[in-house]
Amino acid sequence: MSEKFDITNIAKLASISLSDDEKQKLSSDLSVILDHVQALSNLELDTNIEDVYIHPLEKELVLDQDVEKPSLTHDEALSNAPKASDGKFIVPPSLE
Amino acid sequence: MNLKPTIGIETHIELNTNTKMFCRCKVVDTEEPNISLCPTCIGLPGALPVPNEKAIRYITLLALATGCAITKKGMFHRKNYFYPDLPKNYQISQFDLPVGENGKLEIVIDNEKDYVEIERVHMEEDTGKSSHEGTGRIDSATSTSLDFNRSGVPLVEIVTKPVIQSSKVAVAYIEELRQLAIDLDISEGKLEKGNLRFDANISVAPSESDELGTKVEIKNMNSLRSLERAIDYEIKRQSSAIENGESIIQETRHWDESKETTTSMRSKEGSADYRYFSDPDLPNMVLSDEFVNQVKDSLPPLPHENRNKLVETGLDLSDANVLSKSEKWILELYFEVFDNTKDSKATFNWITGELQGQMRKLEIKSLPEWFSPAFLSDVIKLIDENKISFTSGKVILEELIQKDTTPDDVAKKLDLYQENDESAISEIVNEVIKDNQDIVERIKNGEDKLVGFMVGQIIKSSGGSINPGIAKEILSKELNL
Ligand SMILES: [Zn+2]
Repeated sequence: MSEKFDITNIAKLASISLSDDEKQKLSSDLSVILDHVQALSNLELDTNIEDVYIHPLEKELVLDQDVEKPSLTHDEALSNAPKASDGKFIVPPSLE
Repeated sequence: MNLKPTIGIETHIELNTNTKMFCRCKVVDTEEPNISLCPTCIGLPGALPVPNEKAIRYITLLALATGCAITKKGMFHRKNYFYPDLPKNYQISQFDLPVGENGKLEIVIDNEKDYVEIERVHMEEDTGKSSHEGTGRIDSATSTSLDFNRSGVPLVEIVTKPVIQSSKVAVAYIEELRQLAIDLDISEGKLEKGNLRFDANISVAPSESDELGTKVEIKNMNSLRSLERAIDYEIKRQSSAIENGESIIQETRHWDESKETTTSMRSKEGSADYRYFSDPDLPNMVLSDEFVNQVKDSLPPLPHENRNKLVETGLDLSDANVLSKSEKWILELYFEVFDNTKDSKATFNWITGELQGQMRKLEIKSLPEWFSPAFLSDVIKLIDENKISFTSGKVILEELIQKDTTPDDVAKKLDLYQENDESAISEIVNEVIKDNQDIVERIKNGEDKLVGFMVGQIIKSSGGSINPGIAKEILSKELNL
């Protein structure tokens, strides 16, 4: 296990199960990536975050008017559901 | 050990837009499941979110009304977690560049102004609704069923700084925030419908300590009453744990309404566990000065401004607070009636006491269209001028709510006008004195309380048309008391 992160916890958060071999391989891959990205922390950035915040897209966000547009019918929306009942999607029990 | 509680509140307000936050599916208020969905709000691959201009306008209104600084170049982030009511496996929310920051909200506590500092106001989307099918107990559920009609409905989250000291202040804060949302016309503000939902972060620390104690988040409070009781319970629980030398665990606890206790839900995820990152589908959101100024210009009178206006009419702050949290027509009615009567207290009492009381009794929600504000000021003036009794005023009001008539017509029809002609009253008073010589004798010998009996006799023989105060005055004069 790397000191920088807990691969088991990351796997849990991503909701994937990893074998010990996979954990080892992904840990070393992730370490390389993190070291690479680490270079960024050497940059001196302006303290005004609003000025330096850069989104991958340079475009500005376009907003849409609050006017209803046709959407899926009830049957279309449920057509990909693994299981449905009484008009609802049914999934395995999931509790907080 | 002297301990002090510190509370911070996170409130979610569902906006009353026509369509959802990131798609143009209609926001529906129905039990019929899954009827307003599209690829975006059920998280189908390839669907792209497009923000709702009106929702952005509404959150800007709220941020300005709470005195927040507006973030001119903001952005949306993905908050990642797995739960079936969140079909994309992330919620579009805001992280370090919320729409508004560092505001405050004025509240009224015991006839005094107080302020709750606001940390941030940010935009996000609601989740779907899940219900657990099975045999009773929640942990024995056999499946989870999902309705995504609510998925993607615009939600504003308002987070206070940890500055609230008691459940009383917490309740006043929620009441104020709810009224603000209603006055801004950005939400229905109905707690019972889930338009406004809140969680509380509570910690307890030694009074002299500058640091806060370990914070515990309380969820599942569905009413102001449960908010108040959950906070009081949690302060007590933490205080006695600290006094017993136990440590407080950082966790989320669930308010159990029937048992009136909080129980541990699960250990709280740290914010890093949500793995926030900027949503690549949504570029920087730039709120231009022009847009912000335009929103500012459209701000309606705010609750605290209404209170200031009400206090100027002579009401105390706590009465002004009651009216500032009433329906709009009541506030308008107050000002119209006050304009005529110039009597703030009587106007307040008649509206909030008699008028609303009778409307509740008659189970009517709004005044009939024939009911003019002038009716109420006429009734108040007739009482002030001793032309009718207080009781007659109530009778007249009840008639006015139910029939298309006027105060004068009712007073005449029911013979409610009091005799104010002094000579006519004197005549009746002398008549009663003549018939009750023995009582008069006893009054003259010092039995003061019999004056009340005499006044009663006078009113009785006038058929109720004499004002008791005037009757007493004339009686005293006639008997040289
Ligand atoms: Zn949709």
